[in-house]
Amino acid sequence: MKGRLIPWLMVLPTLILFLSMTIYPFAFMIWASFRDYDLSKRAETHFIGLSNYFQIPKDRTAIESFKFTVKLLSIAVPIEILLGVGIAFLVRGAKGEKIIRSSFLIPMMVPAAVSGVAWKMLYNYAFGPVNWFLSLFGVSKISWLGDMNYAQLGIIIIDVWQWTPFVFLMIYAGLQSIPQDLIDAARVDGADWGRVFLHVEFPLLRPLILVALVLRIIDCLKTFDIVFMTTWGGPGAATHTYSFYIYKVGISFGWNIGYASALSVLLLIVSMVLVNLVFRLVKMRRQLGFGGEEL
Amino acid sequence: MKKILRVFKYILIGICLVFFLFPVYWLVITAFKPSNEWFGWPPKFWPSQLTFSNFYGAKETEVFGGTTGSIENIFPYLRNSIIVGVSVALIGTIVSALSAYAIARYKVGGAFLAEWIISIRMLPPIVSALPLYVIFSRLRLINTWWALILSHLVIVVPLGVWLLISFFREIPREIDEAAYVDGANPVQAFFYVVLPLSAPGLAAVAVLSLIQSWSEFLLALVLTNDARAQTLPIFLGRYITGWRVAWGPLSAAGIVTMLPVVVFAVMAQRYLIRGLTFGAVKG
Repeated sequence: MKGRLIPWLMVLPTLILFLSMTIYPFAFMIWASFRDYDLSKRAETHFIGLSNYFQIPKDRTAIESFKFTVKLLSIAVPIEILLGVGIAFLVRGAKGEKIIRSSFLIPMMVPAAVSGVAWKMLYNYAFGPVNWFLSLFGVSKISWLGDMNYAQLGIIIIDVWQWTPFVFLMIYAGLQSIPQDLIDAARVDGADWGRVFLHVEFPLLRPLILVALVLRIIDCLKTFDIVFMTTWGGPGAATHTYSFYIYKVGISFGWNIGYASALSVLLLIVSMVLVNLVFRLVKMRRQLGFGGEEL
Repeated sequence: MKKILRVFKYILIGICLVFFLFPVYWLVITAFKPSNEWFGWPPKFWPSQLTFSNFYGAKETEVFGGTTGSIENIFPYLRNSIIVGVSVALIGTIVSALSAYAIARYKVGGAFLAEWIISIRMLPPIVSALPLYVIFSRLRLINTWWALILSHLVIVVPLGVWLLISFFREIPREIDEAAYVDGANPVQAFFYVVLPLSAPGLAAVAVLSLIQSWSEFLLALVLTNDARAQTLPIFLGRYITGWRVAWGPLSAAGIVTMLPVVVFAVMAQRYLIRGLTFGAVKG
């Protein structure tokens, strides 16, 4: 009857959009990952089994990009969490809280392409303010984007700059939602601020920190635009992120759709596992109103 | 002792603020610097004179005997960004609202459909960029606004659905039911009763959609190749690789790219929290 049909018609546009723009492409990608699909060669494509997948462990740049992505995850993300949490506690209750809060949000709003322009100027070897600042401490000029180790550090710093505000925003909002009576009650019982933090605030924030962590890991896997704008993966392969390498293999250099698809399938699998983790952490089903499902 | 701690706290806040705001400050200040001050040692932290010439007529500029590359007219790119962004905001909001209402009130497709839609937002865009490139080139949609509008909708709709589901749920069911009693069908109840009540939510979704589409880089990079459809972020990306970069005009272009997003984002802060954190915190 029409009572059931109309709601389905209402989701139809979304269904069509996602079936054609995600399900079909993903199916195409999996199909292509088993073929010698290379746009730079005019030959017909063939089924080649798992060859594309077997190529990955032998591909040095792929390994490099994997390593750099892991480095970014294991260095930038923890710094962002610590700094974000720290700033949230600092800002809470400070004078001019609203203005300070809005200011801290700005980096995360700045389109990555624009941050790329800004940081490329800051890192400039000859004229950049970063080297000028270091020279005050007697540090000689550093080729930030030209030297392998510094380029990696440079990208990590930009990532910290851009995404600490995201962690800050989450934790700050979480702090606001802790009932003030709880804190007052602890104070009345004679707890100093260290104890309030340890026994009241931190336990309440812990799940939130966990969600922030997983969301940052997911987003870190996407890191692309900053690398594109500043180092273009260089020098050598030092700052290739995994996403950036897929782009190079599949589009900008290689046109090797088959191999890039195999790389993408792996990324997709890892991301889907992480997305599921987030959904469990935030109890997505219950939030959507489909009954509770505990972790 | 307490006073020292407080002073220390504000010093720390100050240091953090400098770190997080300085890059933006540097971009803005460079946009107003005359060309002989883009480079220079020590760097100029305040221009000797403010100039607006970087915002118009950015031609080749003499710098240290050489010239910097000229920067193309920004207006076609601004136009593309506006057309794509506004279309994505409008279509995205309508499509999200329809789905969110069907899911919130009628539980269409159950938890599976809802979670599937929302999960798409979190997948890495590079994964769909490649197949979309192949598909759009077969459809001859590469380098058109449509390629960008369609692909940006995929990013924007999941977040819109998510925000609006919680928004619609806060509107009491009795209100729709009263409309049914008066003989309305779900579509009529939706358009005449629920939508007007959820205007703030719809506005938030539209603003968020516009912001995301405006800043999106990867898909725009892959699916377009010249001024006919390229958006502002790609415009910036094209000029940054050069050896003598015209920093002034490029920074000015950066401001044009950044300003609408930052303004809208500060306006929509409250909803941003809920949208970005997938409900982990109620903003």
